[in-house]
Amino acid sequence: MSILILEEVTKVYEGKVAHLAINQLSFEVEKGEFIAVMGPSGSGKTTLLNIISTIDRPTSGEITISGLKPAELPKNDLSLFRRRELGFVFQDFNLLPALTVEENMVLPLTLDGQSVEVMKAKVQRIAEHLNLTSILEKRPSEISGGQAQRTAIGRALIHEPSIILADEPTGNLDSKAAKDVLEILSKVNKVSETTIMMVTHDPIAASYCDRVLFIKDGEYFNEIYKDDRRQTFFQRILNVLSLLGGNVNDLSTIRLS
Amino acid sequence: MTFQQFAYHNVIRNSRIYAAFFMASIFSVMVFFVYSMLMFHPNIEDKFLRDIAFGGMLVAQVILIIFTMFFLFYSMSAFLQARLHEFGVLLNLGMERQQLNRLIFLETMILGLISITIGIFFGFSFSKFFFMIIRELFLLDSLPLYLSWKPFALTIIVFLSQFIIISISSVVFIRKKEVIQLIKGDGKYNEVATFKKGNAFLGLGLLVGAYGLVIFSIFHMNIFMSLLIILMAFIGTYFFYTDSMLYILDVIRRRESLYWHSFRLIAFAEASIKMRENARMFFVVTIVSTIAFLSVGVVTSFTSFTAQYRDLNPVSIFYASDWDNPFEQAHIMNLSQELQREGLSYELVKFNVKKQTSSNSHEPVNVIKESEVNSLAVALKLPLIDLKQGEALLVWNNQVDFENIRSGEEQTVLEESSVPIQIKGMYKHSIFPSFAIKNRAFIISDEDFSFITEPLFGFSIEESKTTFYAFHVSEWLRTKDVGTNLDRIMTETMGVSEVNPNPFYFVNPGLNFSVIRATFALLLFTGLLVAAVLLLAAGSFVYFKLYTDLDRDKKQYDVLRRMGVTDRELVKIVNRQLVPQFFLPWGLAMVHSTFSFIFLQAFWVDLAAVSIAMEMLIVLIVFTVIQVSYFFLIRWRYIAHIQE
Repeated sequence: MSILILEEVTKVYEGKVAHLAINQLSFEVEKGEFIAVMGPSGSGKTTLLNIISTIDRPTSGEITISGLKPAELPKNDLSLFRRRELGFVFQDFNLLPALTVEENMVLPLTLDGQSVEVMKAKVQRIAEHLNLTSILEKRPSEISGGQAQRTAIGRALIHEPSIILADEPTGNLDSKAAKDVLEILSKVNKVSETTIMMVTHDPIAASYCDRVLFIKDGEYFNEIYKDDRRQTFFQRILNVLSLLGGNVNDLSTIRLS
Repeated sequence: MTFQQFAYHNVIRNSRIYAAFFMASIFSVMVFFVYSMLMFHPNIEDKFLRDIAFGGMLVAQVILIIFTMFFLFYSMSAFLQARLHEFGVLLNLGMERQQLNRLIFLETMILGLISITIGIFFGFSFSKFFFMIIRELFLLDSLPLYLSWKPFALTIIVFLSQFIIISISSVVFIRKKEVIQLIKGDGKYNEVATFKKGNAFLGLGLLVGAYGLVIFSIFHMNIFMSLLIILMAFIGTYFFYTDSMLYILDVIRRRESLYWHSFRLIAFAEASIKMRENARMFFVVTIVSTIAFLSVGVVTSFTSFTAQYRDLNPVSIFYASDWDNPFEQAHIMNLSQELQREGLSYELVKFNVKKQTSSNSHEPVNVIKESEVNSLAVALKLPLIDLKQGEALLVWNNQVDFENIRSGEEQTVLEESSVPIQIKGMYKHSIFPSFAIKNRAFIISDEDFSFITEPLFGFSIEESKTTFYAFHVSEWLRTKDVGTNLDRIMTETMGVSEVNPNPFYFVNPGLNFSVIRATFALLLFTGLLVAAVLLLAAGSFVYFKLYTDLDRDKKQYDVLRRMGVTDRELVKIVNRQLVPQFFLPWGLAMVHSTFSFIFLQAFWVDLAAVSIAMEMLIVLIVFTVIQVSYFFLIRWRYIAHIQE
């Protein structure tokens, strides 16, 4: 069953120079899938994520998230939809500095007006999962990047959304912390069958996914599925990336001149 | 692009950030300039008016200068704080420290020059309007606009030197920091709010103590207590912001049932950050607002006083003449002519007052005829009196004690003429000025009055007579030009001693009132303008603070919006963040002022039996309305910005 369906999604930014950010992009994400979206800078990854986040609307085309079409929802319902169905993980964590780790994690629940007991129980369970129990009382400024990103994942998970959208979750982390975070995402995906869509630059991060979707200049470029070994999957990702990044014509023009 | 152009563009392209700052400094330049225009006005010849105008304006200007200095310094350092990253980049690109200093100096001077120019422009445009108000207040004939270099020079010198001082001192602020520190900006949001529990309780305790003392002084007035109260409130307010508020927030945040509730989580957490950051600003705003409320309130309360002035001085013009006064006829003629010249209708009542010795006190007393009092009472629309033979009323006079009369009826005999009288009570309307009646005065019936034929012991029959002339003018406020020469003689001779050396006594309450009214009106006007500047500046502090935090707030609201906070909820969160910033200092200032007014009222009642409650209420309501509208204005801009 597809939890996310994009059909011919196009996004044009109006302005002095109209800019085609996404061009007739179509793909589907299955429930419980861990998908990575890769592409060079300016390929429309962030636009894509914003459209799926429902904070930006496509110029044309249709999106369906767990059976609902966000484009048809009024603005207020759209917010409630995000609150219940979506979870976000950002590159720079975006924890609220004034709140403790625990408070940051319960934030989505308080917005939904749940009781303190329920919140306490959920936070306890998630903190154990993410190995955050010892730092619950700390402020974001007092914890490491990896801990901060795990807190952000906790915040994205706590209301059990149907899909988690992660924007370069490992972009600001050292390799050890990045590995932790990816393993946690992977585990969350396996254990609770949470659908995760991750935008990334990092082929290592992408190699943890079930499928990697490549886009270029806002258009579908290629997609590859993981195989048994992460190592070979990583290698194949690199191959596609080299195709994506290097322009064959560039080399030939050099030769011609 | 030259270096100067670079500095110029920095200012012009950041004009949105500088908007509130510009507004406040332009406004203060403008007010300062208008005051200077009045101060140097060549047409104010009246020495007295000149003194008031000059003095009032000078005080207002000094307050303005001090406050503007503070305001400029605070805003400048906050501006620089917000631009630390930019300076770091410039230094990193190879700018010399010296050049950076020059850049900041240039920018500040551009800001200053623009503010001064626009401020003076508006000031000059509005000075005619201002003069019109002043003219009305002082009932002057004309107060034309004039052109002189003095007010311009004063304003330019004062503000230019202020901006120079500010730009030099603000440079010192960044000189100490390393490039890397600058590039990273300041991590002020990441610090945990710290507070000392002791200070927290001290702050609350001092405030409660100060308020307690105010309540206490309603019963036991002691003017020296006010110093203690002010000191306690001052220190208490400071600790209230730096520690007590953080402590209270901390207590709330420890209670999850209270705290983990929809927007409270964000609101309280943000509140403690803003609190810690802005504690000093809140303190200053509170004190400034309190002073503004108070000055306006006190000045307004004088209007109560003037309203009661008429009751205390019902006779429009009063002239008392001793027997040996050679000018009597000339003066009365003169007064009548002057009244006619002004086109004022009047009624003149003449009192022939006789002097006798009272057997009780063995002192001379003035004896006034009942029918003469009644004829004045008719004119003044006061109740008439009806005395039987042998009855008398004591005339109210605040210089003579009449404690012994109060206890009961007093029997006395006017010794020289052997007329027995019984004092039935007091004539409460103060139709005779206290100074005119040097001793006790009785009103007796016409029959008894006719029996008084003998002169005062040791004097001739002529010598024991005094004549009072009471002019009743219904348009008493317009009598200010009547008898000015007599008034001058009175002020010149009475100024030095308590005793009246003249053979006559003259008082024109209309003239006195016009002076009192003008003085207080001017004070009110000056106070209002200063208060307006202070409030505007206080508001622009808040606006400016919001603006420097805008980028961070935007990002935060973006996260919240992604997390599914609806627009309406966003407005609610914004409200919960803005309301305390606007209304906490204001609210505390209100409480401070209310207690100060209670204290003033207690003090005032002792002094002049005037109730100032109504005026205070009006002042507080007006300031509330201003503050609320300012809040909505800023909120509207803020929400527009974060939703970009």
